[in-house]
Amino acid sequence: MRNEWLRSDRLPHIYCAGCGNGTIMNCVLEAITQTGWDRTRTVFLSGIGCSSRAPGYIMTDSLHTTHGRAIAFATGVKMADPSLHVVVFTGDGDLAAIGGNHFIHGCRRNIDITVVCMNNHIYGMTGGQGSPTTPLGKTSTTTPYGAEEAPFDLVELAIAAGANYVARWTSYHVKQLTDAVYDGLLTPGFSLIEVRCQCPTSYGRRNKYREPTDYMTYLKTNAILKRKWEEMERSGENISPDSFPVGEFVRRSRPVMGVPDEA
Amino acid sequence: MKLEIDESRCKGCNLCTLVCPYKIYRPGSRPNRKGIYVPEMDRPERCPNCRLQELYGRRLCGMCALICPDQAIKWVPEKPYEPMKVVIEY
Repeated sequence: MRNEWLRSDRLPHIYCAGCGNGTIMNCVLEAITQTGWDRTRTVFLSGIGCSSRAPGYIMTDSLHTTHGRAIAFATGVKMADPSLHVVVFTGDGDLAAIGGNHFIHGCRRNIDITVVCMNNHIYGMTGGQGSPTTPLGKTSTTTPYGAEEAPFDLVELAIAAGANYVARWTSYHVKQLTDAVYDGLLTPGFSLIEVRCQCPTSYGRRNKYREPTDYMTYLKTNAILKRKWEEMERSGENISPDSFPVGEFVRRSRPVMGVPDEA
Repeated sequence: MKLEIDESRCKGCNLCTLVCPYKIYRPGSRPNRKGIYVPEMDRPERCPNCRLQELYGRRLCGMCALICPDQAIKWVPEKPYEPMKVVIEY
């Protein structure tokens, strides 16, 4: 059971009411219990941010590292002992902004780690500044008239850089997310699971999603399965600019690094 | 098995009321000691996972426990047979 993986004495956690990070933590732990990994041979790493508080509530070895450097530290852990299972929790500001270079080189090296990116479109912990994934026209404290810069597509970036498994889900699709994390954990090589989640305090409050359930309803209606998205593109159907494709984008076997047999 | 909301962990975000296919959870009406409106359960014996999990030997739904960001919803084992009054609706 996943309750055995939680530090029950640390709960309730610091996340705001309705924060998606707790849901994602549940799904990752559920997937890890399905793999049957040993708790003493699993390491969780994180950078800085709301999402990066998650390993503190999990009963394994963990590293809470400097901002954006979680993947660099994970590379070190994996190379030091390739038999360890390494999972990285990271946020969008952590992964796409300051850790962008580590991210693309982690993908290029195809090191055997699993990265779960909790994408809440904002720097939630520091007060809601705009991040590289803030969608066009959305308000944050640093974009009071709406974001004018085009956002990053982390999935496309990971595919182009060479990751072995790339998927995107939302915090509403908990079952699918659990399955995707399970596949990512078992795939040798770099796996990225991008999870769009809600931040009712910093993002929702300024963008007309005041209640956590409002943003969940948005995720439910605007997440379009990849197959349907491609069909809609082919038939020239009008796709709402708020919508985004979800699903498994890539599963391939490029040369990997850090797998015990090859190390 | 029966569902239980841990009041010391719940923060009252009402996500469980959104996802339950049987609408077992309802938004709470009165605040608890910490001022949090913990959702109330409306006839929780309707949950198929609670009734049939033992029979099928696997988890059937579990959406509420997975989506709860505060890990507040869990199943607790109960005695195999507890007589209860069932009201039939017409």
